[in-house]
Amino acid sequence: MVTIQGVSKSFPGVKALDDVSFGIKAGQVHGLMGENGAGKSTLIKILSGVYTDYSGSISINGEPVRFMSVNSAQKHGVATIFQELTIVPELSIAENIFLGREPVNFGGLINWKKMNEKSVEVLAFLDVHLSPKEPVGSLSIANQQIVEISKSLVLNSKIIIMDEPTSSLTEHEVRQLFLLIQRLKENGITILYVSHKLDEIFEICDTISVLRDGKHVGTKKTTETDRNDIIKMMVGRSLKMLFPERKGGRKNQLLSVKGLTRKGEFNNISFDLYGGEIIGFAGLIGAGRTEMAKSLFGTTLYDSGEIVLLGSKKIRFKHPGEALENGVAYLSEDRKGEGLMLQLTIKENMSISILKRIAPVLFVRNKLERELIRSYSKTFKVKMVSTDQMVESLSGGNQQKVIITRLLMTESQVFIFDEPTRGIDVGAKYEIYKIMNDLTEKGKGIIFISSELPEVLGISDRIFCMREGEIVKEFNKSEADPETIMHVLTGGTAV
Amino acid sequence: MNTTLHSGYRKKGLKEYFQFREIPILFYIIFIVIIFSILIDGFFSIKNFENISRQITTIGIVSVGMTMVIITGGIDLSVGAILSFAINIGGLGISLGWPIPVVYLVMIGLGLLLGFINGFLVTRIAVPALIITLGTMNIYRGITMVITRGIYITGISSSYQIVGEGLLPFMFFLIILAIFVFITLRTRFGRNLFAIGERGESALYSGVPVNKYKVITYVLSGFLSAFAGIILVGKSGFIQPQAGMGYEMGAIAAVVIGGTSIFGGSGSILGTFLGSLFMGLILAGLTMLAVNPFWIGFITGFLILVAIAVDSLRHRRKDYSGG
Repeated sequence: MVTIQGVSKSFPGVKALDDVSFGIKAGQVHGLMGENGAGKSTLIKILSGVYTDYSGSISINGEPVRFMSVNSAQKHGVATIFQELTIVPELSIAENIFLGREPVNFGGLINWKKMNEKSVEVLAFLDVHLSPKEPVGSLSIANQQIVEISKSLVLNSKIIIMDEPTSSLTEHEVRQLFLLIQRLKENGITILYVSHKLDEIFEICDTISVLRDGKHVGTKKTTETDRNDIIKMMVGRSLKMLFPERKGGRKNQLLSVKGLTRKGEFNNISFDLYGGEIIGFAGLIGAGRTEMAKSLFGTTLYDSGEIVLLGSKKIRFKHPGEALENGVAYLSEDRKGEGLMLQLTIKENMSISILKRIAPVLFVRNKLERELIRSYSKTFKVKMVSTDQMVESLSGGNQQKVIITRLLMTESQVFIFDEPTRGIDVGAKYEIYKIMNDLTEKGKGIIFISSELPEVLGISDRIFCMREGEIVKEFNKSEADPETIMHVLTGGTAV
Repeated sequence: MNTTLHSGYRKKGLKEYFQFREIPILFYIIFIVIIFSILIDGFFSIKNFENISRQITTIGIVSVGMTMVIITGGIDLSVGAILSFAINIGGLGISLGWPIPVVYLVMIGLGLLLGFINGFLVTRIAVPALIITLGTMNIYRGITMVITRGIYITGISSSYQIVGEGLLPFMFFLIILAIFVFITLRTRFGRNLFAIGERGESALYSGVPVNKYKVITYVLSGFLSAFAGIILVGKSGFIQPQAGMGYEMGAIAAVVIGGTSIFGGSGSILGTFLGSLFMGLILAGLTMLAVNPFWIGFITGFLILVAIAVDSLRHRRKDYSGG
């Protein structure tokens, strides 16, 4: 029914989708799987009309289509339930269902009666009993999702794309959603079900497609495959990644974390970090790794637990400034939001964390600043004309190098790198791995958070698997392999 | 990427103190001086320029504090109200015969205190500074009115007028300018203000004490408002409860015309000086042309909008060229 033919999409520095082709059969629940960053979201956004700039073609029932907006996708019968719901909390269920296409009377006034009646009709079809006059804001997330689905039914959608629909649902609500999906399917509606939860995919889907590094790895009938097979497809690398060699061994203990907890984010986290080692934190999005890192760094406060620095000093940072003064540095996963000042110069971005050192009395010592920047940025080859250039004009990889240089200049002992290679090209990735190795050779310790399994496995000495805010398993480098870890992360039982 | 080549560089050698965005305003100043000199007899005279230099000092000093606040992405609408509050309460002291140093200390102390209240509220309440200082502006003005009951304080001893004599106010203005040029460009605090205004979260993650520094900018703004009040008392020789009315608009105009971005993250004290000069020349020229003074509000508002529109266009272009 839907045929995706040779679809590619690039962003500066990365190829998000590379020649993806597969078909979705009518009346089926079609699963789409892949690691974080495999290209699932990009594909959904193309199918739903958010991204209009791509190459390749999409056809529905043999007729080629090219959606120029979400509206035009909807007109062709494709509706998307995004993870971030698009409901208006203040409006009623009926108003939300008919938002923007309210039925009107002869005089142009909204026909409330018709609107409410039709809403009841749709809700009854979904076997949900809610009053159409109820404000959506007071509903549970599950019911808000149902309102979104009702919206797409009113639009006469033939294809509904669901992006991680169960991410904020309880177990019971998931059951109900699955019943609802069955009902939609029985009525001839095709569903593209996007998730990284294996159990769900195997339960609800007829067919499964897997993406990896923007490429389509395969499409299989659920009955003809099994979990191990799908996991292999998700994690296997076509492109062999090389990781630089590392010398030197484990040194003194730098950090000891015991029972760290922050309600709703992470629970009972305990681990030690030694000088000269990299510990990797693997997990799916929402596993609580970034939240944990932010608490270590002092941007959020943890509820209970304790952190001991250098074997003796108990610490509880209340501000990132304190963390930096005590030798704990954090590289945020959100480069533009929590890393860069885009319209300031490279120099200003690099030296910001050490201004205290170069302005000991009152005035910033410009010469010292220049010298420090020169000596530190030598390690990294930041492609720039001068350090007075605005960071905005650099590519993603070079921007990341600017922030990493900032962290190196702090001469910290503990480095927390949160998704340091996200969205940057292979060459820059390799340089970042090298920097991480250099740091460990100097006796520093690194906490490495990444959603890309190959790099976590390739560079970490020990790997902690986090799921739903807890460390569920710890592996030594020698005993870890991608399949086992993916099992743990997706909630399956280890093989 | 190419589009940023010309705008992508800043601060090099001598240019450290002089940014590209100040050059256009310099031309506008020369332009209006020429126009007014042709139109008005006696505009191009030492006496007139001396007059203008006296006129721009009070709002000019207030604008310096305003620049610091706006660079961090905030705004302070209460500057005029703080000025009035400080000199009117100080004025009570004058009537009671307090010694001059005590009166000055009270005035400055009030400026610091009211500025601190602004900063405290702005950093603790998740509401734009515009709204918060709009609130404190009315509160400060209200209290002033209640305490003074609207009565002018006159007959102030001539020793209070020393600071307002001749070129002295302008000298104070220049000294303050010099100090704050160095603060913004050469100190850790000053450098961090730009980072806070450009992207507060990033600055926080870099270890900048964002809230503390924001509070300091409001304290400085309050301090400079009170200081401007002292000069105003010196120049006028009396104290009125409505003092400083409309100063917030005059100061914002000087700041944005001087090239400081209303979105925060970039700007300069030197630009603000040129902006004050520009406003002063326009107002003086219009007064000499006997334009109805009620037009002044119109012109100030109009110039603010033009400057903000230019700033907004500049921002939009940068957004597109970003990597």
